[in-house]
Amino acid sequence: MRILPFTLATLALANFTQAAEQAPYSSATISGLGARNIGSATMSGRIAAIAANREPSGKITIFVGAASGGVWKSEDNGTTFKPVFDEQPVQSIGAIALDPRNSKNVWVGTGESWTRNTISIGNGVYRSTDGGETWTRVGLPASERIAKIVVSPENSETAYAAVPGPMWSDSPDRGLYKTTDGGRTWNLILKGANLSTGCSDLDLDPNNPNAMFASMWDYRRKGWTFRSGGDGPNAPSGSGLFRSTDGGATWTEVTPENSKGFPKEPYGRLATAIAPSNPQRVYCFVESTDSALFVSDDGGATWDKRDKSQWMVWRPFYFANLIVDPKNPDRVFKTDGALIMSEDAGKSFATVGGFNGAHGDVHDVWIDPTNTQVVISADDGGIWYSHDGGAKWWKGENLPISQFYHVSVDDADPYRVYGGLQDNSSWVGESQYPGGITNAQWENMFGGDGFWMFPDPSDPDYLYAESQGGNIGRVNRKTHQGRDIQPKPNYKEKLRWNWNTPIALSPNEKGTIYIGAQFLFRSKNQGQTWDRISPDLTTNDPEKQKQEQSGGVTIDNSAAEMYTTIYSISESPKDKNVIWVGTDDGNVQVTRDGGKTWTNTVAAVPNLPPNSWVSWVQASNFAPGTAYVTFDRHTFGDMTAYLYKTTDFGKTWTPLVTPQELSGVSGYAHVIKEDLVQPNLLFLGTEFGLYVSVDGGKQWAQFKGGRFPVGVAVRDIAIQPRENDLVLATHGRGIWIIDDITPLRALTPDLLTQEAAFVPLRPVQQRIQGNGGWASGAATFEGPNPPDGAVITYYQRSRHLFGKLKIEVLDASGKVIDELPASKRPGLNRVTWSMRTKPPRVPPAAQLAFAGTSGPRVLPGVYTIRMTKAGKVSETKLTVGLDNRAKFSEADRKAQFDAAMRVHALFGEESALMDRIMPLRGATAQLMKTLPEGDETRKAVADFDEKLDQVRKQVVATTEGGAITGEERLREHTDQLYGAILSFEGKPGDYQIANIDALRRELDDVTKEFAQLIATDLPALNEKLKAAGQPPIEPAPTKVAAQEPELGSGRDSASARQMLPANLRLLHR
Amino acid sequence: MKIPHTLILLACSGIIARAVYAQEKQAPTVDQLVAKNVEAKGGADALQSLRSVQLTGKLLVNQGQFEMAYSQTKKRPGAVRTEATVQGLTMVQAYDGQEGWKISPFGGRKDPEKMSGDDTKGLIEDAEVDGPLVDWQAKGSTVEYLGTEDVDGTEAHKLKVTRKNGDVSYVYLDPEHFLEIRVLTQRVLRGAQVEEETDLGDYEKVGGVFVPFSIESGSKGSSDKQKIIIEKGEANVPADESMFQFPAAPSK
Repeated sequence: MRILPFTLATLALANFTQAAEQAPYSSATISGLGARNIGSATMSGRIAAIAANREPSGKITIFVGAASGGVWKSEDNGTTFKPVFDEQPVQSIGAIALDPRNSKNVWVGTGESWTRNTISIGNGVYRSTDGGETWTRVGLPASERIAKIVVSPENSETAYAAVPGPMWSDSPDRGLYKTTDGGRTWNLILKGANLSTGCSDLDLDPNNPNAMFASMWDYRRKGWTFRSGGDGPNAPSGSGLFRSTDGGATWTEVTPENSKGFPKEPYGRLATAIAPSNPQRVYCFVESTDSALFVSDDGGATWDKRDKSQWMVWRPFYFANLIVDPKNPDRVFKTDGALIMSEDAGKSFATVGGFNGAHGDVHDVWIDPTNTQVVISADDGGIWYSHDGGAKWWKGENLPISQFYHVSVDDADPYRVYGGLQDNSSWVGESQYPGGITNAQWENMFGGDGFWMFPDPSDPDYLYAESQGGNIGRVNRKTHQGRDIQPKPNYKEKLRWNWNTPIALSPNEKGTIYIGAQFLFRSKNQGQTWDRISPDLTTNDPEKQKQEQSGGVTIDNSAAEMYTTIYSISESPKDKNVIWVGTDDGNVQVTRDGGKTWTNTVAAVPNLPPNSWVSWVQASNFAPGTAYVTFDRHTFGDMTAYLYKTTDFGKTWTPLVTPQELSGVSGYAHVIKEDLVQPNLLFLGTEFGLYVSVDGGKQWAQFKGGRFPVGVAVRDIAIQPRENDLVLATHGRGIWIIDDITPLRALTPDLLTQEAAFVPLRPVQQRIQGNGGWASGAATFEGPNPPDGAVITYYQRSRHLFGKLKIEVLDASGKVIDELPASKRPGLNRVTWSMRTKPPRVPPAAQLAFAGTSGPRVLPGVYTIRMTKAGKVSETKLTVGLDNRAKFSEADRKAQFDAAMRVHALFGEESALMDRIMPLRGATAQLMKTLPEGDETRKAVADFDEKLDQVRKQVVATTEGGAITGEERLREHTDQLYGAILSFEGKPGDYQIANIDALRRELDDVTKEFAQLIATDLPALNEKLKAAGQPPIEPAPTKVAAQEPELGSGRDSASARQMLPANLRLLHR
Repeated sequence: MKIPHTLILLACSGIIARAVYAQEKQAPTVDQLVAKNVEAKGGADALQSLRSVQLTGKLLVNQGQFEMAYSQTKKRPGAVRTEATVQGLTMVQAYDGQEGWKISPFGGRKDPEKMSGDDTKGLIEDAEVDGPLVDWQAKGSTVEYLGTEDVDGTEAHKLKVTRKNGDVSYVYLDPEHFLEIRVLTQRVLRGAQVEEETDLGDYEKVGGVFVPFSIESGSKGSSDKQKIIIEKGEANVPADESMFQFPAAPSK
């Protein structure tokens, strides 16, 4: 296409001619709101796989595959990490492999294979040839999860992918795959014995890459049961160890018959590893009725049974991984709850990590081949470094891959965020903090795995938290005492608590709390007593209650498979007697009489397969009969979203998102929330992101704002009602905040027809600017605060590319007081106004007067924001007020402003005086050049110049050289006073006001001295000059503008020195 | 009836973009995109006629709370001088085609300092009057087309420019007008990679060539980038070589 020549005028015309058409509603429309991640990296989250390489430079490059938080890369031994997979549609990682011949070739298998109940899904193999900067999906789209990728040491284009395959359904897309063309095509070279058996591990002989062992694994998870191996300890299983010596063309199963010492079937999960320094040494962990480590010293021909300690055999589905020292064939690590290590070829193991000083539940280990004392381990709590072979561990503090299940907020100012995480307890964090939200702004309040967590609205000293299986506690925030308030069963009764047992607060009564087993419990007195307010609301299907037999070969009944339970609870904000309950086995129950009678409404939900897991039921904020429900069928292998709405207490349900009409929504649905103000504004969290509808669910757009990873699971959403912030609990990337969603409420069809228009602005506060934080190096996480200023939001149909998009701020008199750099993107845009007046004119001196780079913040009031785009002007009003927390009045604020402006004026007058002095000195300098040395007139000129300079040196510090001169003159004292007054926006101290007067008097003195020079010395000098035939020196102008700001005269607050980036680069391209 | 997702996706790229895709079903080549970029800027002749350019305006850092007067002069074949002034103190960073130097006056020193080779890399790129794509072969760069990527709501063409020294710039071109809207640069400084993301906009013609009058740069995805607003652009201003060269005597 040829670009037509155009001018700004034709562009403007084009814009106006299009203005009547409504822009399509899309991600671009909403994503300009941005989002910020507040972490935390202190608890971090589960890592499924790591890969690393000691580079020729000596530095270690590390790739981290987060269980549900993407791929992170470090090029500096883990000091800093950056996410490199955020543009991809999935965030669950199963395997990472570096090409042994070229570590820039990185392979990633998506979909974790540590098959706990809560894991996500992947969509195939990705490859990067530039060290992870860019990725191409190269195949196996239906694999769902990939346990391992191994690249041939002889050929960069040859790789193997171990695919255990879909966890929730039968599938032929599993087994061991091989590519010989860099991933363009894949061949299934080892297929499972049945549709639930795939490949879970692989290792190649480094000396002969055609020789390999592959572990096949028969496994399946349902909502209510799990098996590793067959349906019971002795049931038939497709699992087994296979070997090939011809690059995978043919395979032989390793059996007790052909390989002496190998255990008998049936098997569960196996793990295998060949010692790199001695390929005859082969390790194999075998899950069986007698699980143990088996070791071969003849390349797998015969085997010897070795360790079978607790951490060798515990939960094989979660921990089957063996890592052999690259140099020492006898040294081998086995991942488990603890990390265990053997130095005698597996005869004995010692606990060296995991639960021993680190978090525990270890999934992967990397040993530095150049220094095998350097070990990196990855567990449910992030990444850990050991420099002494695993004896002691150093925690990585910079991976915010935390896996929240739920989030809530309180009404403190700033508000705090509450939530529980996979294997990482329940935490309270700050939504903003002076200096940024570091790991220190998060506090652990409970234990175990964490889920729902709420502040107690009836007593701010308490909160509710829970661990898995409904173990709810009421926790004192100060003493951390956690009182167990879980309701107990009746005589010979079993309460069925879901792994992620729902807790709900009444929106109508402070102190009323709900928790659900198969019955709904309600307490009106903070858990002192509980009322059982429902019958069993589930299907109570006994076939789904056999968790004591769950696990397959190894019984594993941790509450993760507890089923036929209540999973979601919501009391109507409009009527406390209307309570909705959703169950994991597909019931949507409602009571309209506070629990006396219940109706199961699920039969009225159209086109819904039976027994679909109710992931969320949400009572409307606007009508008692209105509710929303999401169903999550991923435990049946259906990865699509289901969302319905009722307006008649569940008599009828209207589909909003279903597989028949997904409206662009990807991933199974976890949560639906309705805005607090605009009923048509809906937020849907799925396994693959956040989706927003502004029209009641007809159209949906995925949120992609800021650095929010597009494919991350959003499992809960909270709205802070005072700030109108949307707080997202992601399962894999921590808590994200979209500050102030009020613009979404204004996204009407009419607005979408505008070329550019302001969105109504909420009143802004002049937030107190506190100092906080401390130098902590680059290796710790720090989350950003909201912008420090007034955020102005506007909408534009398309990207602004040509000419100036001008945004100005006008005061009440209509005077333009600032111009802001505009944001350019299509859709909603945000810019920040510092709310500061122009800085004073500060006289030039040897160093910057740092406080003087800034003006005081404007007085509270109503300001006009004016946008000019392509000749079209639009305006909106902005109300500026004090910080709600301020302890001073607007009158105090005005006193501070006035005082600051008096000092501001003082600076200006000092500048004006300098403006009068400097031209005279310019003239004297010129004369000194013309007049000969020793000349009398020259001496007179020099004397006069010296007197001028003496005046100058009373106004400003003049010593250059960059040292701490301590030279304080009028300007420097003015700056100190100015900074002191700016540091607090309440009433200034009397001593500060007095100091203004003192400095003014000092300036008057200097000015008089200067005036005396002009009145007497200058005419005398001019007489001498005239006699010498030289032109006279013009007297300085008597009036010089004191307040007119020079172009770009800077602004800043008192701590400007810290604000200037150390490596400020004056950049223009 | 609801609109299928694919249609929504297409629709959001805009009317002109739809026309582009209708005409060009094949992915564009590097040469095509570079040619369009040259044409979009004003054409090869206009670019060649632009021997020097001087831009003045203001520089904002720390969410606009710190403001400096800004000016930048660049001159073919590869010299640049950038200044930022506050309270009469002028910070200078310059490159004359051979060496980079700077003056950092805010702490009381006004003498020029030599910049290291690595620190000069950014200046060398700044000195390019035409940007990274034009004449990439002559500069010894390689360029790859990497498809399209969402740049803040715009599905932009992504080009990877690998410079002779190994540094990489990902250049994102607007799909309708083929001007740069973002450049993500990965430089190796003292052995470690440093990323700098620069968003470009408010293009105006200077000497017949479209030049961005809005430049925002910072770390990737940062919500608080350093912002430069150009207020005046002048073409072919007299720019003596000495202004780019390391001063013989300390600046007064």
